[in-house]
Amino acid sequence: MSELIQLANPNQRPPQLKPEDLTLRFSEQAVKELEALISHYPSKKSCILPGLWLAQREYGGFLSGEAIAEVACRLDRSFAEVQGVATFYSLYNTAHQPGKHKLEICTCLCCHINGAWNLRDYLVKKLGIRHGETTSDGMFTLEEVECLNTCDRAPAMQVGSEYYGPLDEKQIDALLEKLRNTQESTVVQYAADVVSVQLRNDEK
Amino acid sequence: MAEYKLLLEHSKDPTFRTLEGYKAKGGYTALAKALTMERSAICDSIKAAGLRGRGGAGAPAFLKWGGMPKEKKTQHYLICNADEGEPGTFKDKELLENCPFLLIEGMTIGGYAVQGDAGYVYVRAEYMDGAKMLRKALDEAYAAGLLGKNILGSGIDFDIYIHLGAGSYECGEETALMSSLMGERGMPRLKFPSAPFPVISGVWEKPTLIHNVESYCNAPFIVNNGAEWFASLGATTKNSRGTKIFSVSGHVNKPGNYEIEFGTPLRELLELAGGVRGGKLKACIPGGSSVPVITAEDVERAIIGYEEMGEVKSMVGSGGCMFFNEHTDMVKLAWRSAVFYANESCGKCTPCREGTRWMVQILERICKGNGRPGDIEMLRQVASQIDGRSFCPLGDAAAWPVLAALRVFPQEFEHYIEHGHSMVDSKPSLVGVP
Ligand SMILES: Cc1cc2nc3c(=O)[nH]c(=O)nc-3n(C[C@H](O)[C@H](O)[C@H](O)COP(=O)(O)O)c2cc1C
Ligand code: SF4
Ligand code: FES
Repeated sequence: MSELIQLANPNQRPPQLKPEDLTLRFSEQAVKELEALISHYPSKKSCILPGLWLAQREYGGFLSGEAIAEVACRLDRSFAEVQGVATFYSLYNTAHQPGKHKLEICTCLCCHINGAWNLRDYLVKKLGIRHGETTSDGMFTLEEVECLNTCDRAPAMQVGSEYYGPLDEKQIDALLEKLRNTQESTVVQYAADVVSVQLRNDEK
Repeated sequence: MAEYKLLLEHSKDPTFRTLEGYKAKGGYTALAKALTMERSAICDSIKAAGLRGRGGAGAPAFLKWGGMPKEKKTQHYLICNADEGEPGTFKDKELLENCPFLLIEGMTIGGYAVQGDAGYVYVRAEYMDGAKMLRKALDEAYAAGLLGKNILGSGIDFDIYIHLGAGSYECGEETALMSSLMGERGMPRLKFPSAPFPVISGVWEKPTLIHNVESYCNAPFIVNNGAEWFASLGATTKNSRGTKIFSVSGHVNKPGNYEIEFGTPLRELLELAGGVRGGKLKACIPGGSSVPVITAEDVERAIIGYEEMGEVKSMVGSGGCMFFNEHTDMVKLAWRSAVFYANESCGKCTPCREGTRWMVQILERICKGNGRPGDIEMLRQVASQIDGRSFCPLGDAAAWPVLAALRVFPQEFEHYIEHGHSMVDSKPSLVGVP
């Protein structure tokens, strides 16, 4: 089977948690934001996706079993249901704690014909990690992703909320250097951005 | 014919992204005019204009606008599909980033015409710049009384919310999008005739009008300039009216978004994008990865229009137009496309879930130089058994590119199997193997 087909690893499922084992960790601000988000929809269930994004921010970029359980608890849904939703979507980090920065390199059609594989190989060699892995210092996670719909800038890569491209090896070097010196985690910042664009001015 | 800039006329002008600048360019005159019109008159002009959905399928927009219940018994919802995930397409991104008010005004007109209570813009989470720009524009519109309660003193209320996805191509399919909006896994639902149309029972089982970003952005122009004027654009085609934004990429000198009038030859689109880079033209996927590939000869004679593209056995699709030069390995391209669909298959139905993986396996074996004599036939069989037998159109979209590649470039597949490498490169290709 192609290594590119991203089969879920059954050993990496978050553990089932009972509500009584749970320490709720959402900040006051997050609780307020969740309430505002809930008010956008006719049902609480509809808030599962925004709720998971909020949890991804609150829990440092990783939707652990606790994080998923907290979302389930706050939205009155079952753990299994919310976990099922979280694991369906590729931008929720449910498998393991990602690095501080997630390098999402596109290898889809346009990037494929524009040298994305060489860049992918370059990153693999330089960082010593492959698709889905994180460097031992917890700095970078590498992910090969499908079309980022920035094909005019192929070969393209996304890190957090930012797009980069067309990239070459030199630019990748510079980008990694810049990211190493970035204080906050772009993974967490990204989740924070997702939450904040869904809120009106008066809801923030 | 050259570019015809209707939606993108002011896209390079940063002031167009502010309410003041948008109004200075005639923004919001359409909404003011629409609010003085009968609701049915707006739906009628959408019909007379001949607007077709720009999301991919090209269904007449009027069927949706006119199909919404006239008598309001419950909430009505609008959805804007900004989940743009089709490889090769990036036009909705430009509209969100550069023309957010066009979308907001178009949706608000739609909200009035079909008595909508709220609209949801489902933006893929990768489009953070677009989502941020839309957020800013929405906040400005709310502050100016152009959204919310009693819009422009008309007594009409309408809200627009942004909902972000979380990384799933399948959520662009409209029923899967609704599942996702309702907080579920992005899996599609039963469609007509097994279930009512979304205009009768859509998101939260309420009447729902769902359109692509570009579709809504056309509404202000139809209201302002009149249906007749709009229908005069593309009049040389059978049934395609107005303009279409094409995202041109691949081996071209100036990749980017180009807006053209329907009826423009495909060859001119290539010229607009600065011609082919790195060699002669070999092939083109004119409407996003789901549509069949065509040859350079077909590019010469193809006319852009929903029916016209059928003559070269392809489609307008979402407008993600990719050109490929003579050094492109078409087998490897088919393999990469198959990988995309295998990764994005939601897993609900067997033909697509299993079939896409089978296609990848066979294509990968061929690309690694281990192809077997019966592989082409087997590949064709697997693809044909996905096509038309899957629960939602993603399955068909996975099969078509492979079937088209087999039909248009059979000699490349044969060469690969016979010699263990491609016609354009003598090394066995190991792409995808770390
Ligand atoms: C697998 C799949 C993916 C799709 N992705 C998108 C998309 O990203 N954006 C979009 O507007 N339509 C997409 N569509 C088409 C939608 O289902 C739907 O037809 C469209 O949103 C309707 O809007 P329109 O009438 O304005 O075209 C997709 C369809 C399928 C089958
Ligand atoms: S064709 Fe079937 S498996 Fe594929 S995306 Fe649609 S419903 Fe899911
Ligand atoms: S193929 Fe890489 S951005 Fe589209």
